[in-house]
Amino acid sequence: MCNFSGRLVAWMDGELAQNEVAAVRRHVAACAECTKCVATYKDASREFAAYYDAATRTPPAPSRRIPLWIPVLAGAAAIILVALTLMPRTVTPVPAVPQVAVAALPSVQYETSAAPLEPAGKPHSAARRKAQPENWTMIEPAIQIAIPAEAMFPPGAVPEGFTYVANLSLASDGSVQGLHLQP
Amino acid sequence: MSGDSLSLDLPLSRFATDSCEATTLYRELRKPLLRYLSGLGLPLEEAQDVAQDAFLSLHKHLSGGGSQENIRSWLFRVAHNRARNYQQSYAQRCGEPLDPVFDTASKAATPEQMALTNERFHRLNRAVKTLNAQERECLMLRAEGLRYREIGEVLGLPTSTVSDVVERAIKKLAEKCDV
Repeated sequence: MCNFSGRLVAWMDGELAQNEVAAVRRHVAACAECTKCVATYKDASREFAAYYDAATRTPPAPSRRIPLWIPVLAGAAAIILVALTLMPRTVTPVPAVPQVAVAALPSVQYETSAAPLEPAGKPHSAARRKAQPENWTMIEPAIQIAIPAEAMFPPGAVPEGFTYVANLSLASDGSVQGLHLQP
Repeated sequence: MSGDSLSLDLPLSRFATDSCEATTLYRELRKPLLRYLSGLGLPLEEAQDVAQDAFLSLHKHLSGGGSQENIRSWLFRVAHNRARNYQQSYAQRCGEPLDPVFDTASKAATPEQMALTNERFHRLNRAVKTLNAQERECLMLRAEGLRYREIGEVLGLPTSTVSDVVERAIKKLAEKCDV
């Protein structure tokens, strides 16, 4: 290893002080090892310049890597989605009898002596409840109306004081869908 | 050295005397500056933004009566510092450093030449990856035609240190590439 070996690249690049240049030049001319080193360093410099030129000719594409917050946010969204999917749901029961507004009822209403008109939602009388079979569950009607027996049966066909419970089904437009009578 | 780099004897400070010469300065230095920023690993858009900011700062510096000496190293230093800031914010955002990506593709005339050149570049790529950031930056600035004094001004190093770093980097490359 020569004393000049640490100054060869600077000498090649013309970066040595004037008073050193002549001494290095004389040494390189006389030293085969340093002459070989200079040739090698020149080759390496040339190679790097060509490589650097080729590498920076096409700059790297933008956004090569994904910012950290994107996978974090995606993971959080996935966890929330899974939690919502697996969470038990409470089912709201749908009423069996549609809630019909009073205005949707037929315009003609009847009065009867047997059963006075009761407000909707009120429980039936205890006697009537006892008459029902035990396994029969009565659905609380939304609206109760009283219809005179003469309007439905021939005169004398129904004993006096006898009443029926009528299950009336109404369509969404207010028309009667079905009528079922129970003593 | 790159053929696009400025002549080393060019007295750059004289360019800033009027707007026409300032335009010449922009034309001469924009390409080497963009190449250096790209070599630092900045994506194209970022490199262009940083270069534009650096030239804007240069304009303000000169119009504000700033020193007209060593304009090239002044410009590269401003751009280098901004690129550093970008790299740091990138590392914070992405959790990994923005390393330079030297993706070389040969455009040789024949397939044999292309294969040889690609093989040579791959060897150099491996060798460059063994250099530390300071060695890489010194070599890139040297390839852009900057003098050791200018490289020292850009990187904040004494000229003697730049000389040592360049010597060490070239020796490493020569050993790894077996040139």
